Amino acid sequence: MSDATHGAQSHGSDEIYQHLQPIHPDPDSFIRKWIFSTDHKVIAKQFLWAGFTFLFFGGMLAMMIRWQWAYPGEAVPSFLGGVFLEDTGGVIGPATYNTIFTMHGLIMIFWAITPLMIGAFGNLCIPLMIGARDMAFPTLNMLSFWTFFASGIMIFASFMVELGSAAAGWTTYPPLSTNIGTPGFGQTLVVMAIFTTGSATLMGAVNYIATVIRLRAPGMGWMQMPLTVWGMWLTAILNLLFVPVLAAGAALLLMDRSFGTTFFIAGANGNGDPILFQHLFWIFGHPEVYILILPVWGFIGDFIPFFSRKPAYWYKGSVYAMILVTVLSAVVYGHHMFWTGMNPLLGQSFMLLTLVISVPAEMLFLNWLHTMWKGSIRLTVPMLFALGTVFVFGLGGLTGIFLGTISTDIYLHDTMFVVGHFHLTMAAAAFLGTFGAIYFWFPKMFGKKMNVSLGKYHFWISVVTITVVFCGQMAAGYAGQQRRLWDPFQYTFLAHLADLNRWTTYFGFALGLGQVLFVVNWFKSIFAGEKADENPWELGTLDWTHASSPPVHHNFDVIPRVYTGPHEFANPEVKRLLGRDWLGQAEQLPTDAAAGTGDAPMADSTGDA
Amino acid sequence: MKVKQWILNAIVGLGALCALPTMGWAAVEPEAEGAWGLFASFPRDVSVDGWRIDWLIEVTMVFVVILFVVMCVWMFWACFFHNEDHEAEYDHGDAHHHVVTALVLSAVIFFIMDGNLLVNSIVDLDEVFWNFELAEKIEGAPRPECGAENSPTDGTCAVRLEVNARQWAWQARYAGLDGEFNTPDDVEVLNDLVVPAGSPVIVQLAATDVIHAFYLPNLRAKMDAVPGMINRLWFRARDEVRGDYEIGCAQHCGTHHYKMRGKLSIVSQEDFKAWIGEASRTASQGYDVNDVNNHWGWSWARGGKG
Repeated sequence: MSDATHGAQSHGSDEIYQHLQPIHPDPDSFIRKWIFSTDHKVIAKQFLWAGFTFLFFGGMLAMMIRWQWAYPGEAVPSFLGGVFLEDTGGVIGPATYNTIFTMHGLIMIFWAITPLMIGAFGNLCIPLMIGARDMAFPTLNMLSFWTFFASGIMIFASFMVELGSAAAGWTTYPPLSTNIGTPGFGQTLVVMAIFTTGSATLMGAVNYIATVIRLRAPGMGWMQMPLTVWGMWLTAILNLLFVPVLAAGAALLLMDRSFGTTFFIAGANGNGDPILFQHLFWIFGHPEVYILILPVWGFIGDFIPFFSRKPAYWYKGSVYAMILVTVLSAVVYGHHMFWTGMNPLLGQSFMLLTLVISVPAEMLFLNWLHTMWKGSIRLTVPMLFALGTVFVFGLGGLTGIFLGTISTDIYLHDTMFVVGHFHLTMAAAAFLGTFGAIYFWFPKMFGKKMNVSLGKYHFWISVVTITVVFCGQMAAGYAGQQRRLWDPFQYTFLAHLADLNRWTTYFGFALGLGQVLFVVNWFKSIFAGEKADENPWELGTLDWTHASSPPVHHNFDVIPRVYTGPHEFANPEVKRLLGRDWLGQAEQLPTDAAAGTGDAPMADSTGDA
Repeated sequence: MKVKQWILNAIVGLGALCALPTMGWAAVEPEAEGAWGLFASFPRDVSVDGWRIDWLIEVTMVFVVILFVVMCVWMFWACFFHNEDHEAEYDHGDAHHHVVTALVLSAVIFFIMDGNLLVNSIVDLDEVFWNFELAEKIEGAPRPECGAENSPTDGTCAVRLEVNARQWAWQARYAGLDGEFNTPDDVEVLNDLVVPAGSPVIVQLAATDVIHAFYLPNLRAKMDAVPGMINRLWFRARDEVRGDYEIGCAQHCGTHHYKMRGKLSIVSQEDFKAWIGEASRTASQGYDVNDVNNHWGWSWARGGKG
């Protein structure tokens, strides 16, 4: 696999790594190869296709919400109105509208972003970037995808039952999400689907954590891992700790719905506690926000040095910042609940902890900006998407402080300002970051290049429209518009916002239409793309230096030994000796190699026995 | 506390001066609704204390704009001038002075921007929004002229309101002339609240069915109404304000959430006194012991959660 210039010298002691991960023969049957596959690369593609399907579906729901805010009560044109709203002639009624925004949120978070970002790229990148032949538990990996698939079936089924799918908001607050507010079987199915997909996520999380701890190539210490792997690993830890809390809430809610318990029902109908559910939900829900952004921080933390051709600025600082955010994310959830009647002292503690998160966030931003400074920047498509992510995440992050502060949150809580803010971070940043990853690893996945011009058009249309759409939402919230209103202009104090909402909608449609460029590029590149070579971006990480495009079933013929960090660019010594601006992670400079193997630049600090 | 606040405010003021031209400066004074520019303007503020929230949002917005502009200029500058024709510097950015610079920069931004938010927010909450003692005796001492304890008839004393949210309406209850809740002279209204200008209004909130949120955009007030709990908030309309404002529901509460809209009339103290007197007498005359559905009030919970 690796050509001779890579100069990966085999340690005698490295033999054990080859034996610990023996090469299994390729699966020979179609079913084991493409359907019930245990190969992390195939599972990554399965998650990718499933994620695309739900992204399209969730996106269509978003278009319907935007239509409703631009033209409340008017029939939705195109196939959306004709096919999905046949009964009403295309008009979205208030009950249907509730279903649409509820399912838009749930589908995008659990069935689109999660599989695309974590399912697809976690699976693809972790083994390839750390030099493993597969995940630690390949069969569990397969089960994770098929459990996820089953939950997806439940989601589609929920639209077919009487009274339609869930309608209590993505947050599923009881008592509205109990039979008092949403008596249909659709809501039950959706809560079951959340529980099921949570199990799938858990299987993935166990796998990612174990793989990173146990299967790093010899020589790859924690501080030689690409930041993408760090992001995925920390995400997996948050998933492992907090998805079970959501599952507990979902299970209790199912009992309230189906077995007559009243854990969360109070007032005229029971003596439970609705706020208990909110605690369970947000103990999970706030880490979830970081679950959806940590992998993206990993992507941009790698892409920016990769395409600035410069070492990542204060790599360890970025790692520490990501770890700090991971820890803090677990203790700030109360800012979602300032106005539920929370104890003032508790509220103020949550406010302080929330604001502290801006310190590691600032460290990350400073590191990205410093990395670009005095670099040699190549505005490739993945780099553009990474910079676009920094741009929208900057907007989203900075607007978060208004919501983490109690007194300003009095006014902004539950307004469109919140919606705009969290879409900039969870939707826009996750969307742009994940598309950057798609453009970046496409050559590795399919062995083909994607069209650059189409990619750049796709980027510019997406970044402009996505920014305007979510800033438009923030502006509406700034003027006081509440979330989730079927017709916001019933309120006279909001009537003058009709124009603002309509313009936001036009940009939303442009964002939706702009994705056609990606779809065209995707299929064109898969079927007729130019062949990509092993390392088209000229980078030093193992996925590019030691795996073919696409990689063989067992990834690496010989598991390489790692000597250096993932962003070794612009080293004058490398330039002099090798005539290029990058050094492979598993590469030693010729003089070092001649001098012997004992003085590798990085100490072997893997945890492997 | 005071000194710290002044220092912070001075820094904030300097920052604000630098960035004034970059944003529409919605004033502290009440202004007409309707205009929206880069950022839409707040709804007209008719409360005595809402400026605290507006000011904090606007000042922080200035910081945010400055930081965002710095970030963008930095990024675009690098893309433009440090492009592929520029030779990359071999620098891992982990030298001692790099680390110190990054930490100091992060700390400075944190202490100025977040510190300003934190300090002002806590001061505002302690002094006003969570200060129910202030609401009860607005000048710091009980006033003999308020008459009977809890009496809502004298505009200089706090008006007490019990609000019960249900799908999809706001039920509200005044104590009536006797100042006691759950008595025959309670005044009950639906989606149509009346409060006197200038007086503190203390609201205790409950809900029958699902969670709602009581939202007064023009008074910068908001609180969840949760089944099984009694939450509270208080607000005060300016002395000179009269007119009708809207009550909204801010928490998704089912199919007709969008229609859960009420009216809040702000009237003069004399008009309020006349209205509550008349309504309370009418209520006593029409009181029906057997109409249990109308007896949803509770005895005023002193320790309602804030």
